[in-house]
Amino acid sequence: MDFGSFLSAPEINIKIVTYRDIFQDKAMIENRFGEEYRDRSAILKLDPADLKQLSIKAGDTVILKNSLGKIVVKAEESGYETPHRGIAYMPNSPWSNMLVSDETGGTGVPRFKDISATVTSAKGEKVTELRF
Amino acid sequence: MYEEADMEKNYYVCTGCGLLCDDIEVESEKNIINKVYTACRVGVAHMKKAKGETNFLVNNKPVDEATAVREAASILKNAKNPLIFGLGTSTDETQILAIELAKKTNATLDDTSSFCLGPLVEALLQDKLKPCTLEDIRNKADVIIFWGADPSDSHPRHLSKHSYFPRGSEKQKGWEEERTAIAIDIRKSHTAKICGNYFFQIPPGGDTEFIDALIAALSGKLPKTSYNFPPKKILELANILKGAKFGVIFAGLGLIYSLEDLEPVFRLMKILNEKANFHLVPMVGHYNMRGFNENLFAETGYVNRVKFEDGMVKHGPEYSVVESLKAKTVDAALIIGSDPLSSLPRSVSKNLLEIPVISIDPCETLTSKHAKVYINTAISGVESGGSATRMDGTKVSFKPVVETIHPSDEAILKKIMEAV
Repeated sequence: MDFGSFLSAPEINIKIVTYRDIFQDKAMIENRFGEEYRDRSAILKLDPADLKQLSIKAGDTVILKNSLGKIVVKAEESGYETPHRGIAYMPNSPWSNMLVSDETGGTGVPRFKDISATVTSAKGEKVTELRF
Repeated sequence: MYEEADMEKNYYVCTGCGLLCDDIEVESEKNIINKVYTACRVGVAHMKKAKGETNFLVNNKPVDEATAVREAASILKNAKNPLIFGLGTSTDETQILAIELAKKTNATLDDTSSFCLGPLVEALLQDKLKPCTLEDIRNKADVIIFWGADPSDSHPRHLSKHSYFPRGSEKQKGWEEERTAIAIDIRKSHTAKICGNYFFQIPPGGDTEFIDALIAALSGKLPKTSYNFPPKKILELANILKGAKFGVIFAGLGLIYSLEDLEPVFRLMKILNEKANFHLVPMVGHYNMRGFNENLFAETGYVNRVKFEDGMVKHGPEYSVVESLKAKTVDAALIIGSDPLSSLPRSVSKNLLEIPVISIDPCETLTSKHAKVYINTAISGVESGGSATRMDGTKVSFKPVVETIHPSDEAILKKIMEAV
Protein backbone atom coordinates (compact mmCIF):
# COMPACT_ATOMS: atom_id res chain seq x y z
CA MET A 1 0.00 0.00 0.00
CA ASP A 2 1.18 3.50 -0.83
CA PHE A 3 1.03 5.26 2.54
CA GLY A 4 2.23 8.46 0.86
CA SER A 5 -1.22 8.88 -0.63
CA PHE A 6 -2.65 9.50 2.86
CA LEU A 7 -0.27 12.34 3.61
CA SER A 8 -1.36 15.84 2.67
CA ALA A 9 0.75 17.11 -0.19
CA PRO A 10 2.40 20.52 0.12
CA GLU A 11 0.34 23.28 -1.49
CA ILE A 12 1.54 26.66 -2.76
CA ASN A 13 -0.17 29.77 -4.08
CA ILE A 14 0.89 30.82 -7.54
CA LYS A 15 0.15 33.44 -10.13
CA ILE A 16 -0.13 31.94 -13.61
CA VAL A 17 0.89 34.01 -16.62
CA THR A 18 -0.24 32.64 -20.00
CA TYR A 19 1.72 32.96 -23.23
CA ARG A 20 1.71 31.88 -26.88
CA ASP A 21 3.78 28.95 -28.12
CA ILE A 22 4.41 28.25 -31.81
CA PHE A 23 4.57 24.47 -31.41
CA GLN A 24 1.33 24.44 -29.47
CA ASP A 25 -0.32 26.69 -32.09
CA LYS A 26 0.73 24.36 -34.86
CA ALA A 27 -0.58 21.35 -32.92
CA MET A 28 -3.94 23.12 -32.47
CA ILE A 29 -4.24 23.81 -36.18
CA GLU A 30 -3.51 20.17 -36.96
CA ASN A 31 -5.89 18.71 -34.39
CA ARG A 32 -7.34 20.63 -31.48
CA PHE A 33 -8.66 17.41 -29.96
CA GLY A 34 -5.34 15.59 -30.43
CA GLU A 35 -2.75 14.36 -27.97
CA GLU A 36 -0.02 16.72 -29.15
CA TYR A 37 -2.18 19.78 -28.53
CA ARG A 38 -3.05 18.51 -25.05
CA ASP A 39 0.59 17.70 -24.27
CA ARG A 40 1.68 21.18 -25.32
CA SER A 41 -1.22 22.99 -23.61
CA ALA A 42 -1.91 21.26 -20.31
CA ILE A 43 1.48 22.14 -18.83
CA LEU A 44 2.69 24.44 -16.09
CA LYS A 45 6.20 25.85 -16.14
CA LEU A 46 7.47 26.33 -12.61
CA ASP A 47 10.56 27.67 -10.90
CA PRO A 48 12.79 24.73 -9.78
CA ALA A 49 12.46 25.86 -6.14
CA ASP A 50 8.66 25.62 -6.40
CA LEU A 51 8.95 22.10 -7.86
CA LYS A 52 11.11 21.19 -4.89
CA GLN A 53 8.69 22.69 -2.38
CA LEU A 54 5.86 20.68 -3.95
CA SER A 55 8.00 17.52 -3.62
CA ILE A 56 7.53 16.73 -7.28
CA LYS A 57 9.74 16.22 -10.33
CA ALA A 58 9.38 17.72 -13.78
CA GLY A 59 6.90 15.55 -15.69
CA ASP A 60 4.69 14.82 -12.65
CA THR A 61 1.10 16.01 -12.77
CA VAL A 62 -0.20 18.75 -10.49
CA ILE A 63 -3.64 19.97 -9.50
CA LEU A 64 -4.35 23.63 -10.19
CA LYS A 65 -7.32 24.91 -8.28
CA ASN A 66 -9.18 28.13 -7.66
CA SER A 67 -12.81 29.19 -7.17
CA LEU A 68 -13.45 28.77 -10.91
CA GLY A 69 -12.35 25.19 -11.27
CA LYS A 70 -9.77 22.49 -10.91
CA ILE A 71 -7.53 21.05 -13.59
CA VAL A 72 -4.73 18.54 -13.71
CA VAL A 73 -1.72 19.46 -15.83
CA LYS A 74 1.86 18.35 -16.19
CA ALA A 75 4.53 20.30 -14.28
CA GLU A 76 7.71 21.36 -16.05
CA GLU A 77 10.77 23.33 -15.11
CA SER A 78 10.62 26.72 -16.79
CA GLY A 79 14.28 26.91 -17.74
CA TYR A 80 14.37 30.68 -17.20
CA GLU A 81 17.62 31.93 -15.67
CA THR A 82 15.93 34.55 -13.50
CA PRO A 83 14.21 32.98 -10.47
CA HIS A 84 10.42 33.41 -10.48
CA ARG A 85 9.12 31.65 -7.38
CA GLY A 86 5.37 31.99 -7.05
CA ILE A 87 4.96 32.81 -10.74
CA ALA A 88 4.31 30.01 -13.22
CA TYR A 89 3.81 30.05 -16.97
CA MET A 90 1.28 28.21 -19.08
CA PRO A 91 0.42 28.37 -22.80
CA ASN A 92 -2.93 30.05 -23.40
CA SER A 93 -5.45 27.28 -24.06
CA PRO A 94 -8.87 25.87 -23.10
CA TRP A 95 -7.09 24.42 -20.04
CA SER A 96 -5.84 27.77 -18.74
CA ASN A 97 -9.25 29.25 -19.58
CA MET A 98 -10.91 26.87 -17.12
CA LEU A 99 -9.29 28.92 -14.34
CA VAL A 100 -9.88 32.43 -15.73
CA SER A 101 -12.37 34.48 -13.74
CA ASP A 102 -15.49 36.09 -15.17
CA GLU A 103 -14.78 39.10 -12.91
CA THR A 104 -13.84 41.83 -15.34
CA GLY A 105 -14.97 44.95 -13.50
CA GLY A 106 -17.40 45.45 -16.38
CA THR A 107 -14.58 46.02 -18.87
CA GLY A 108 -15.29 43.01 -21.09
CA VAL A 109 -11.67 41.93 -20.78
CA PRO A 110 -10.97 38.84 -18.65
CA ARG A 111 -7.60 38.53 -16.92
CA PHE A 112 -6.27 35.80 -19.20
CA LYS A 113 -2.67 36.46 -18.20
CA ASP A 114 -3.19 36.91 -14.48
CA ILE A 115 -4.61 33.77 -12.89
CA SER A 116 -4.35 33.03 -9.17
CA ALA A 117 -4.50 29.40 -8.12
CA THR A 118 -3.09 26.86 -5.72
CA VAL A 119 -0.87 24.09 -6.95
CA THR A 120 -0.35 20.73 -5.37
CA SER A 121 0.87 17.32 -6.47
CA ALA A 122 -1.78 15.32 -8.35
CA LYS A 123 -0.12 12.09 -7.16
CA GLY A 124 -0.23 10.54 -10.59
CA GLU A 125 -3.72 11.67 -11.55
CA LYS A 126 -4.13 12.02 -15.33
CA VAL A 127 -4.21 15.32 -17.22
CA THR A 128 -7.72 16.82 -17.53
CA GLU A 129 -9.56 15.85 -20.74
CA LEU A 130 -10.84 18.60 -22.99
CA ARG A 131 -14.62 18.54 -22.83
CA PHE A 132 -17.64 20.31 -21.44
CA MET B 1 -9.09 26.89 -62.70
CA TYR B 2 -6.02 27.10 -60.51
CA GLU B 3 -3.73 25.06 -62.72
CA GLU B 4 0.06 25.31 -63.12
CA ALA B 5 -0.20 27.59 -66.16
CA ASP B 6 -2.18 30.20 -64.25
CA MET B 7 0.17 29.98 -61.31
CA GLU B 8 3.37 30.94 -63.06
CA LYS B 9 5.32 33.27 -60.79
CA ASN B 10 2.17 33.49 -58.79
CA TYR B 11 2.54 33.71 -55.08
CA TYR B 12 -0.17 32.91 -52.59
CA VAL B 13 -1.04 34.70 -49.38
CA CYS B 14 -0.89 32.84 -46.07
CA THR B 15 -3.88 33.61 -43.84
CA GLY B 16 -2.32 31.87 -40.83
CA CYS B 17 -1.81 35.13 -38.88
CA GLY B 18 -2.00 38.91 -39.05
CA LEU B 19 1.20 39.16 -41.12
CA LEU B 20 -0.55 37.90 -44.29
CA CYS B 21 2.75 36.82 -45.89
CA ASP B 22 2.32 37.20 -49.63
CA ASP B 23 5.26 35.18 -50.92
CA ILE B 24 4.00 31.63 -50.48
CA GLU B 25 4.47 28.94 -53.11
CA VAL B 26 2.71 25.59 -53.01
CA GLU B 27 2.66 22.28 -54.81
CA SER B 28 -0.79 20.80 -55.08
CA GLU B 29 -2.46 17.94 -56.83
CA LYS B 30 -6.17 17.22 -57.11
CA ASN B 31 -6.92 20.10 -54.76
CA ILE B 32 -4.68 18.70 -52.04
CA ILE B 33 -1.73 20.83 -50.99
CA ASN B 34 1.33 18.60 -50.72
CA LYS B 35 4.09 21.13 -50.21
CA VAL B 36 4.19 24.66 -48.91
CA TYR B 37 7.29 26.78 -49.44
CA THR B 38 8.38 29.93 -47.60
CA ALA B 39 5.66 29.80 -44.93
CA CYS B 40 6.44 29.30 -41.23
CA ARG B 41 5.56 26.25 -39.13
CA VAL B 42 2.12 27.65 -38.33
CA GLY B 43 1.51 28.74 -41.92
CA VAL B 44 2.39 25.33 -43.33
CA ALA B 45 0.03 23.63 -40.87
CA HIS B 46 -2.68 26.15 -41.75
CA MET B 47 -2.35 25.63 -45.48
CA LYS B 48 -2.07 21.85 -45.31
CA LYS B 49 -4.89 21.46 -42.81
CA ALA B 50 -6.95 18.41 -43.71
CA LYS B 51 -10.68 18.84 -43.45
CA GLY B 52 -13.18 16.41 -42.04
CA GLU B 53 -16.02 14.94 -44.03
CA THR B 54 -18.76 16.64 -42.04
CA ASN B 55 -20.67 19.24 -43.99
CA PHE B 56 -23.88 20.36 -42.33
CA LEU B 57 -25.24 19.29 -38.96
CA VAL B 58 -28.41 20.15 -37.10
CA ASN B 59 -28.58 18.76 -33.57
CA ASN B 60 -25.46 16.76 -34.50
CA LYS B 61 -27.28 14.94 -37.32
CA PRO B 62 -26.20 15.33 -40.97
CA VAL B 63 -28.54 17.46 -43.09
CA ASP B 64 -28.36 19.19 -46.46
CA GLU B 65 -27.26 22.78 -46.90
CA ALA B 66 -30.78 24.17 -47.33
CA THR B 67 -31.94 22.62 -44.05
CA ALA B 68 -28.91 23.94 -42.14
CA VAL B 69 -29.38 27.44 -43.56
CA ARG B 70 -33.13 27.36 -42.83
CA GLU B 71 -32.50 26.27 -39.23
CA ALA B 72 -29.83 28.95 -38.75
CA ALA B 73 -32.14 31.62 -40.12
CA SER B 74 -34.97 30.45 -37.89
CA ILE B 75 -32.75 30.67 -34.78
CA LEU B 76 -31.78 34.24 -35.68
CA LYS B 77 -35.37 35.23 -36.50
CA ASN B 78 -36.72 33.86 -33.24
CA ALA B 79 -34.09 35.55 -31.12
CA LYS B 80 -34.74 38.95 -29.55
CA ASN B 81 -31.04 39.75 -29.17
CA PRO B 82 -28.80 37.34 -31.06
CA LEU B 83 -25.02 37.60 -30.66
CA ILE B 84 -22.89 37.58 -33.79
CA PHE B 85 -19.28 36.89 -32.88
CA GLY B 86 -15.99 35.84 -34.47
CA LEU B 87 -15.02 36.99 -37.97
CA GLY B 88 -11.27 37.44 -37.25
CA THR B 89 -10.54 34.73 -39.80
CA SER B 90 -13.09 35.89 -42.36
CA THR B 91 -12.57 38.12 -45.39
CA ASP B 92 -13.68 41.75 -45.56
CA GLU B 93 -16.51 40.65 -47.84
CA THR B 94 -17.81 38.19 -45.21
CA GLN B 95 -17.42 40.74 -42.41
CA ILE B 96 -19.43 43.36 -44.31
CA LEU B 97 -22.19 40.80 -44.85
CA ALA B 98 -22.13 39.93 -41.14
CA ILE B 99 -22.55 43.62 -40.26
CA GLU B 100 -25.59 43.76 -42.57
CA LEU B 101 -26.98 40.59 -41.00
CA ALA B 102 -26.48 42.06 -37.53
CA LYS B 103 -28.45 45.14 -38.56
CA LYS B 104 -31.23 43.04 -40.05
CA THR B 105 -31.56 40.85 -36.95
CA ASN B 106 -31.06 43.61 -34.31
CA ALA B 107 -28.01 41.69 -33.11
CA THR B 108 -25.17 42.34 -30.71
CA LEU B 109 -21.98 42.22 -32.80
CA ASP B 110 -18.47 41.72 -31.44
CA ASP B 111 -15.18 40.10 -32.32
CA THR B 112 -12.04 38.90 -30.54
CA SER B 113 -10.49 42.39 -30.60
CA SER B 114 -12.96 43.11 -27.81
CA PHE B 115 -10.66 41.31 -25.34
CA CYS B 116 -7.50 41.73 -27.37
CA LEU B 117 -5.96 44.61 -29.33
CA GLY B 118 -9.16 46.48 -30.27
CA PRO B 119 -8.29 49.63 -28.27
CA LEU B 120 -5.00 50.04 -30.17
CA VAL B 121 -6.61 49.62 -33.59
CA GLU B 122 -9.30 52.11 -32.55
CA ALA B 123 -6.63 54.64 -31.50
CA LEU B 124 -4.84 54.17 -34.83
CA LEU B 125 -8.08 54.67 -36.79
CA GLN B 126 -8.75 57.82 -34.75
CA ASP B 127 -5.25 59.16 -35.59
CA LYS B 128 -4.21 59.06 -31.93
CA LEU B 129 -1.10 56.99 -32.71
CA LYS B 130 1.38 57.25 -35.56
CA PRO B 131 1.11 54.30 -37.94
CA CYS B 132 3.59 52.89 -40.45
CA THR B 133 3.70 49.89 -42.74
CA LEU B 134 5.79 46.75 -42.36
CA GLU B 135 7.57 47.76 -45.59
CA ASP B 136 8.57 51.09 -43.99
CA ILE B 137 9.95 49.11 -41.09
CA ARG B 138 11.88 46.72 -43.31
CA ASN B 139 13.40 49.60 -45.26
CA LYS B 140 13.97 52.22 -42.58
CA ALA B 141 13.50 51.10 -38.97
CA ASP B 142 16.56 51.46 -36.75
CA VAL B 143 15.01 50.97 -33.29
CA ILE B 144 12.43 48.21 -32.85
CA ILE B 145 10.66 47.54 -29.57
CA PHE B 146 8.72 44.34 -28.87
CA TRP B 147 6.59 45.23 -25.86
CA GLY B 148 4.63 42.37 -24.30
CA ALA B 149 4.92 40.66 -27.67
CA ASP B 150 6.74 37.52 -28.76
CA PRO B 151 6.51 37.34 -32.54
CA SER B 152 8.96 34.42 -32.65
CA ASP B 153 6.01 32.38 -31.38
CA SER B 154 2.95 34.36 -32.45
CA HIS B 155 4.07 35.72 -35.87
CA PRO B 156 7.04 33.52 -36.75
CA ARG B 157 8.25 35.40 -39.86
CA HIS B 158 7.92 38.84 -38.29
CA LEU B 159 11.61 39.34 -37.53
CA SER B 160 12.96 37.66 -40.67
CA LYS B 161 10.59 39.17 -43.24
CA HIS B 162 9.98 42.62 -41.80
CA SER B 163 11.23 43.90 -38.50
CA TYR B 164 14.80 42.89 -37.72
CA PHE B 165 16.84 40.68 -40.02
CA PRO B 166 16.08 42.00 -43.54
CA ARG B 167 18.47 44.30 -45.36
CA GLY B 168 16.00 47.04 -46.23
CA SER B 169 16.61 49.69 -48.87
CA GLU B 170 17.95 52.15 -46.28
CA LYS B 171 19.31 49.49 -43.95
CA GLN B 172 21.78 47.61 -46.13
CA LYS B 173 24.06 46.76 -43.21
CA GLY B 174 21.20 45.00 -41.53
CA TRP B 175 20.68 44.02 -37.93
CA GLU B 176 24.38 43.58 -37.22
CA GLU B 177 25.07 47.31 -37.46
CA GLU B 178 21.99 49.30 -38.22
CA ARG B 179 19.13 47.97 -36.15
CA THR B 180 18.57 47.69 -32.40
CA ALA B 181 15.87 45.28 -31.27
CA ILE B 182 14.53 45.75 -27.75
CA ALA B 183 12.21 43.47 -25.78
CA ILE B 184 10.23 44.62 -22.76
CA ASP B 185 8.56 41.63 -21.19
CA ILE B 186 7.91 39.78 -17.97
CA ARG B 187 9.72 36.65 -19.13
CA LYS B 188 12.63 35.86 -21.42
CA SER B 189 10.61 34.90 -24.50
CA HIS B 190 12.18 33.55 -27.69
CA THR B 191 12.06 37.09 -29.08
CA ALA B 192 13.65 38.49 -25.91
CA LYS B 193 16.54 36.05 -26.37
CA ILE B 194 17.22 37.50 -29.82
CA CYS B 195 17.29 40.98 -28.29
CA GLY B 196 20.23 39.93 -26.07
CA ASN B 197 21.35 42.76 -23.78
CA TYR B 198 18.38 44.83 -24.84
CA PHE B 199 15.93 42.65 -22.94
CA PHE B 200 14.26 44.57 -20.12
CA GLN B 201 12.54 42.21 -17.71
CA ILE B 202 9.78 43.79 -15.66
CA PRO B 203 7.43 42.20 -13.10
CA PRO B 204 3.86 41.20 -14.13
CA GLY B 205 1.71 44.33 -14.16
CA GLY B 206 4.78 46.58 -14.08
CA ASP B 207 4.27 48.16 -17.52
CA THR B 208 2.64 51.44 -16.51
CA GLU B 209 5.40 52.17 -14.00
CA PHE B 210 8.03 51.27 -16.56
CA ILE B 211 6.43 53.67 -19.05
CA ASP B 212 6.44 56.44 -16.43
CA ALA B 213 10.07 55.73 -15.57
CA LEU B 214 10.99 55.76 -19.26
CA ILE B 215 9.18 59.08 -19.75
CA ALA B 216 11.12 60.47 -16.77
CA ALA B 217 14.39 59.27 -18.30
CA LEU B 218 13.48 60.76 -21.68
CA SER B 219 12.81 64.08 -19.88
CA GLY B 220 16.21 64.00 -18.19
CA LYS B 221 14.88 63.00 -14.77
CA LEU B 222 15.85 60.07 -12.58
CA PRO B 223 13.68 57.06 -13.47
CA LYS B 224 12.14 55.33 -10.45
CA THR B 225 10.03 52.20 -10.09
CA SER B 226 8.59 50.53 -7.00
CA TYR B 227 10.28 47.33 -8.17
CA ASN B 228 13.71 49.01 -8.23
CA PHE B 229 14.51 48.57 -11.88
CA PRO B 230 18.12 49.78 -12.25
CA PRO B 231 17.80 53.49 -13.22
CA LYS B 232 21.02 53.27 -15.23
CA LYS B 233 19.48 50.67 -17.55
CA ILE B 234 16.37 52.79 -18.10
CA LEU B 235 18.55 55.83 -18.86
CA GLU B 236 20.52 53.76 -21.38
CA LEU B 237 17.26 52.66 -23.01
CA ALA B 238 16.03 56.27 -23.15
CA ASN B 239 19.24 57.27 -24.92
CA ILE B 240 18.80 54.59 -27.58
CA LEU B 241 15.19 55.68 -28.14
CA LYS B 242 16.15 59.36 -28.39
CA GLY B 243 18.56 58.52 -31.19
CA ALA B 244 15.96 56.69 -33.30
CA LYS B 245 15.50 58.03 -36.82
CA PHE B 246 12.70 55.55 -37.47
CA GLY B 247 11.48 53.81 -34.36
CA VAL B 248 8.58 51.42 -33.94
CA ILE B 249 6.81 49.82 -31.00
CA PHE B 250 5.18 46.47 -31.66
CA ALA B 251 2.54 46.33 -28.94
CA GLY B 252 1.34 42.92 -27.82
CA LEU B 253 -1.24 41.54 -25.44
CA GLY B 254 1.31 41.48 -22.61
CA LEU B 255 1.36 45.28 -22.69
CA ILE B 256 -2.35 45.81 -23.28
CA TYR B 257 -3.53 43.44 -20.53
CA SER B 258 -1.23 45.18 -18.07
CA LEU B 259 -2.71 48.68 -18.64
CA GLU B 260 -5.99 50.07 -17.31
CA ASP B 261 -6.32 52.19 -20.46
CA LEU B 262 -4.11 53.49 -23.26
CA GLU B 263 -3.31 56.83 -21.65
CA PRO B 264 0.27 55.78 -20.64
CA VAL B 265 0.92 54.65 -24.23
CA PHE B 266 -0.28 58.02 -25.58
CA ARG B 267 2.01 59.86 -23.16
CA LEU B 268 4.98 57.72 -24.11
CA MET B 269 4.36 58.09 -27.85
CA LYS B 270 4.01 61.86 -27.42
CA ILE B 271 7.41 62.31 -25.78
CA LEU B 272 9.05 59.78 -28.12
CA ASN B 273 7.86 61.88 -31.05
CA GLU B 274 9.12 65.07 -29.44
CA LYS B 275 12.59 63.57 -29.01
CA ALA B 276 12.66 61.18 -31.99
CA ASN B 277 10.36 59.52 -34.55
CA PHE B 278 8.21 56.63 -33.31
CA HIS B 279 5.39 54.56 -34.79
CA LEU B 280 3.16 51.86 -33.35
CA VAL B 281 1.96 48.60 -34.86
CA PRO B 282 -0.45 46.31 -32.96
CA MET B 283 0.56 42.63 -32.99
CA VAL B 284 -2.75 41.47 -34.41
CA GLY B 285 -3.11 37.69 -34.23
CA HIS B 286 -6.03 36.67 -36.43
CA TYR B 287 -5.48 37.38 -40.07
CA ASN B 288 -8.35 39.83 -40.48
CA MET B 289 -9.17 41.07 -36.99
CA ARG B 290 -8.00 44.52 -38.01
CA GLY B 291 -10.23 44.28 -41.10
CA PHE B 292 -13.26 43.69 -38.86
CA ASN B 293 -12.35 46.75 -36.79
CA GLU B 294 -11.95 48.88 -39.91
CA ASN B 295 -15.12 47.63 -41.59
CA LEU B 296 -17.26 48.18 -38.50
CA PHE B 297 -15.60 51.56 -37.87
CA ALA B 298 -16.46 52.68 -41.42
CA GLU B 299 -20.09 51.63 -40.87
CA THR B 300 -20.70 52.75 -37.29
CA GLY B 301 -17.71 54.72 -35.95
CA TYR B 302 -16.95 51.88 -33.50
CA VAL B 303 -14.42 49.07 -33.87
CA ASN B 304 -16.36 46.41 -31.91
CA ARG B 305 -18.98 45.90 -29.13
CA VAL B 306 -22.08 47.20 -30.89
CA LYS B 307 -25.78 46.46 -30.66
CA PHE B 308 -28.07 47.27 -33.56
CA GLU B 309 -31.64 48.22 -32.77
CA ASP B 310 -34.14 49.32 -35.41
CA GLY B 311 -31.57 51.18 -37.47
CA MET B 312 -29.77 52.66 -34.45
CA VAL B 313 -26.42 51.51 -33.13
CA LYS B 314 -25.46 51.31 -29.47
CA HIS B 315 -21.93 50.77 -28.22
CA GLY B 316 -20.25 49.95 -24.94
CA PRO B 317 -18.61 47.23 -22.83
CA GLU B 318 -22.07 45.80 -22.06
CA TYR B 319 -22.23 44.76 -25.73
CA SER B 320 -18.90 42.93 -25.57
CA VAL B 321 -19.02 39.19 -26.08
CA VAL B 322 -17.81 38.64 -22.51
CA GLU B 323 -20.27 40.93 -20.73
CA SER B 324 -23.26 39.96 -22.86
CA LEU B 325 -22.66 36.25 -22.28
CA LYS B 326 -21.96 36.82 -18.61
CA ALA B 327 -25.14 38.87 -18.11
CA LYS B 328 -27.08 36.47 -20.35
CA THR B 329 -28.50 39.36 -22.37
CA VAL B 330 -28.14 37.45 -25.65
CA ASP B 331 -30.56 34.64 -26.48
CA ALA B 332 -28.85 32.99 -29.48
CA ALA B 333 -25.40 33.08 -31.04
CA LEU B 334 -23.98 32.97 -34.54
CA ILE B 335 -20.27 32.21 -34.24
CA ILE B 336 -18.20 32.61 -37.38
CA GLY B 337 -14.66 31.19 -37.50
CA SER B 338 -14.14 31.23 -33.76
CA ASP B 339 -14.24 28.80 -30.87
CA PRO B 340 -15.35 30.74 -27.79
CA LEU B 341 -15.89 27.55 -25.75
CA SER B 342 -12.10 27.16 -25.99
CA SER B 343 -10.88 30.74 -26.14
CA LEU B 344 -13.06 32.46 -23.54
CA PRO B 345 -12.94 31.80 -19.81
CA ARG B 346 -15.12 28.78 -19.14
CA SER B 347 -16.87 30.79 -16.42
CA VAL B 348 -18.22 32.98 -19.25
CA SER B 349 -18.46 30.65 -22.24
CA LYS B 350 -20.50 28.03 -20.36
CA ASN B 351 -23.51 30.31 -20.81
CA LEU B 352 -23.37 29.52 -24.53
CA LEU B 353 -24.62 26.03 -23.63
CA GLU B 354 -27.95 27.56 -22.56
CA ILE B 355 -28.78 29.23 -25.89
CA PRO B 356 -29.02 27.97 -29.48
CA VAL B 357 -25.67 28.34 -31.23
CA ILE B 358 -24.88 28.36 -34.95
CA SER B 359 -21.24 27.54 -35.66
CA ILE B 360 -19.79 28.40 -39.07
CA ASP B 361 -16.23 27.13 -39.10
CA PRO B 362 -13.78 25.28 -41.34
CA CYS B 363 -12.91 22.91 -38.52
CA GLU B 364 -14.77 21.10 -35.80
CA THR B 365 -14.28 22.80 -32.46
CA LEU B 366 -15.66 22.55 -28.94
CA THR B 367 -18.12 25.25 -29.99
CA SER B 368 -19.21 23.42 -33.15
CA LYS B 369 -19.68 20.21 -31.15
CA HIS B 370 -22.13 21.98 -28.85
CA ALA B 371 -23.86 23.96 -31.59
CA LYS B 372 -27.43 23.39 -32.71
CA VAL B 373 -26.34 24.10 -36.28
CA TYR B 374 -22.85 23.48 -37.62
CA ILE B 375 -21.81 24.48 -41.12
CA ASN B 376 -18.37 23.36 -42.27
CA THR B 377 -17.04 26.09 -44.52
CA ALA B 378 -14.01 26.51 -46.77
CA ILE B 379 -10.74 27.54 -45.11
CA SER B 380 -10.64 31.27 -45.72
CA GLY B 381 -7.59 32.15 -47.81
CA VAL B 382 -6.79 28.53 -48.67
CA GLU B 383 -10.05 27.30 -50.19
CA SER B 384 -11.78 30.66 -50.74
CA GLY B 385 -10.52 34.12 -51.62
CA GLY B 386 -11.22 37.73 -50.80
CA SER B 387 -9.48 40.64 -49.15
CA ALA B 388 -8.20 41.44 -45.68
CA THR B 389 -6.25 43.99 -43.66
CA ARG B 390 -2.79 43.18 -42.38
CA MET B 391 -1.75 44.12 -38.81
CA ASP B 392 -0.29 47.42 -40.08
CA GLY B 393 -3.44 48.44 -41.99
CA THR B 394 -2.25 47.36 -45.46
CA LYS B 395 -4.97 45.85 -47.67
CA VAL B 396 -4.16 42.43 -49.09
CA SER B 397 -6.21 40.48 -51.65
CA PHE B 398 -5.92 36.77 -52.16
CA LYS B 399 -7.27 33.98 -54.26
CA PRO B 400 -7.96 30.42 -53.18
CA VAL B 401 -5.04 27.97 -53.40
CA VAL B 402 -7.23 24.94 -54.05
CA GLU B 403 -10.88 24.29 -54.80
CA THR B 404 -13.25 22.69 -52.33
CA ILE B 405 -16.76 21.34 -52.10
CA HIS B 406 -17.29 23.34 -48.94
CA PRO B 407 -19.07 26.68 -49.31
CA SER B 408 -17.30 29.83 -48.16
CA ASP B 409 -18.57 31.58 -45.03
CA GLU B 410 -19.44 34.46 -47.36
CA ALA B 411 -21.73 32.23 -49.47
CA ILE B 412 -23.40 30.82 -46.34
CA LEU B 413 -23.99 34.25 -44.79
CA LYS B 414 -25.57 35.43 -48.04
CA LYS B 415 -28.00 32.52 -47.91
CA ILE B 416 -28.80 33.02 -44.24
CA MET B 417 -29.38 36.70 -44.94
CA GLU B 418 -31.87 35.84 -47.68
CA ALA B 419 -33.68 33.39 -45.43
CA VAL B 420 -33.92 35.66 -42.38
